[in-house]
Amino acid sequence: MEKTVIQFILENIMLFLPVGITGIVVTVILFFISKRENIHESEDLKSDFITLFNIRLNIYVLVYLFIWIIIIIIGLSSNFIIPTIIGGIIAAIPLILMTLIELRTKNSKVL
Amino acid sequence: MFFIEINQNFGEHTRLLAPFIGIITIVWLFFIYYSHKKYGTKKTIIYFLPIIIATLFIESAGVASGRYYYSGYIIYLSVVGGAVPLIIILAWSVNLFLCMNMGKHFISKIYQKRNYLQIIFISITAGLFGVCLDLLEDPIAHYNSWWIWEASLNGIKFFEVPILNFIGWFVLIFFMSIATLLIERSRFSENRKVLLSITSISITGTIIFVIHGLIVRLFEFTGLS
Repeated sequence: MEKTVIQFILENIMLFLPVGITGIVVTVILFFISKRENIHESEDLKSDFITLFNIRLNIYVLVYLFIWIIIIIIGLSSNFIIPTIIGGIIAAIPLILMTLIELRTKNSKVL
Repeated sequence: MFFIEINQNFGEHTRLLAPFIGIITIVWLFFIYYSHKKYGTKKTIIYFLPIIIATLFIESAGVASGRYYYSGYIIYLSVVGGAVPLIIILAWSVNLFLCMNMGKHFISKIYQKRNYLQIIFISITAGLFGVCLDLLEDPIAHYNSWWIWEASLNGIKFFEVPILNFIGWFVLIFFMSIATLLIERSRFSENRKVLLSITSISITGTIIFVIHGLIVRLFEFTGLS
């Protein structure tokens, strides 16, 4: 009979407890004994863009789009039409949001 | 306790498994190359290794608990009794790296301050983006038997996939993003960050199990599961 993952962990607590406690103790010790360096790090998000046919594209959006297209093709070719369409619409939300926010920033820069 | 198993019947009881494995392999290799080129080896380890270790335990526990199983893959790993395909573990690192970076881009356009609140916003966005992708992927995976949810599982389902699975996706990506971003933005040396990213899996893992366990209890209490 299936159990929840939590039930499984509680039944095997003698296995998880030593591993968990060791990890927590080592993390706390490392956190307190480690020196903090005084370096100011800023993130370069601009380099995540590539230009294809004069269109500036975010590399992560492109990869997400690639996965989205392939999974939809697999879903449709396995004759699983309705769930693929519904799932495809939901999974397109991040793509739409990323495109909209990019356009909004682009327009506000022009203004 | 830990074992590697090689299955010689690739694709048995599944449909279209090869293209699924193909896209994960391509995207994973591309992200490793891209991350290494942009951030260097140490940061690439921080982004990929903790999620690989965490999901190896979580997925192995999930399979061992009898809720779902994987068939037809080539290389299986097991740490706590449940055999998990290597490619599934790598897919989780792709999910985290992709969703966290999309979250960074999205939030940086609407909230520029680099503080704890921004980390929370990025992690929420990453979790939601991950769930959106899984709402497409998981029903197709179940239908094509890439992984199979036990039919006897009760509760609300989305095309045969338990709704708690999607909550699990959100919780996992949300907390792993928080842990990764906190370590990435800390002022420790690069070597110390690598070490902390691995040892802190125990803390992040405990939080994930406790929060997910509470949500499961809540679902059981309200009769949704």
